[in-house]
Amino acid sequence: MKTKTETILKFMHVLAWIAFIGLAIETGAILISYGVSWFHPIAASDLYRGMNLYDVSQYDFWLYTQMVSYVVALLVVKAYAAYLVIKIMMKVKLQSPFTLEITSRLETIAYVLLGGVVISLISQVQADWLQKHVRDFNLGWIGENAGEFLLVAGLVFIISQVFKRGVELQAENELTV
Amino acid sequence: MPIVVNVDVMMARRKMSLNELSQKVDITLANLSILKTGKAKAVRFSTLEAICKALDCQPGDLLEYKKD
Repeated sequence: MKTKTETILKFMHVLAWIAFIGLAIETGAILISYGVSWFHPIAASDLYRGMNLYDVSQYDFWLYTQMVSYVVALLVVKAYAAYLVIKIMMKVKLQSPFTLEITSRLETIAYVLLGGVVISLISQVQADWLQKHVRDFNLGWIGENAGEFLLVAGLVFIISQVFKRGVELQAENELTV
Repeated sequence: MPIVVNVDVMMARRKMSLNELSQKVDITLANLSILKTGKAKAVRFSTLEAICKALDCQPGDLLEYKKD
């Protein structure tokens, strides 16, 4: 008989796949728009869902490339975290859920998200600087979510440490006769 | 580990096989093997009681402390 937790985990597995595919599509769309903007600069006015970097590209194409790189890097970080979640969902077994592999994957997610914090902070500083020089400039959600990244990274790291203790307890329990 | 499990010694003295003990104590062969090879991290009192009953011995006959 399926338990409620198993159903929830299956649902989360599907959600993780949707998030991963969505982020991969978003990254691809931005990269394609960026490629097009090399030949048709007007494409920079709507890179992806209203992300307008046209004035930045006209001001300095190198800075424009940098801003797009930050956006892509953040999306890659999110996509990789979603991919790691998918991997965890594939490996997790409710009969003995605490394994070193899952613990190390959780730790990796925390470090990847911490990398996202750094990228987000750098992009925020650069976006603030650009705001003084460029009139029309909309980067969307980028540069505003360093705090969220940090919070989630911290939470995942704490969970990974609790999981580590769980691995020890499970091993002890399995070796109790 | 400084705690040595002497189940195999007692089994030899009582001329009892692992299968026989496993059936009498009602624990799996795998768990009995963990206990016999000294890989066990802990032993439940109920298990100890059942083994003592099956082998007609005291807990001290089964467990021994040896300095490393």
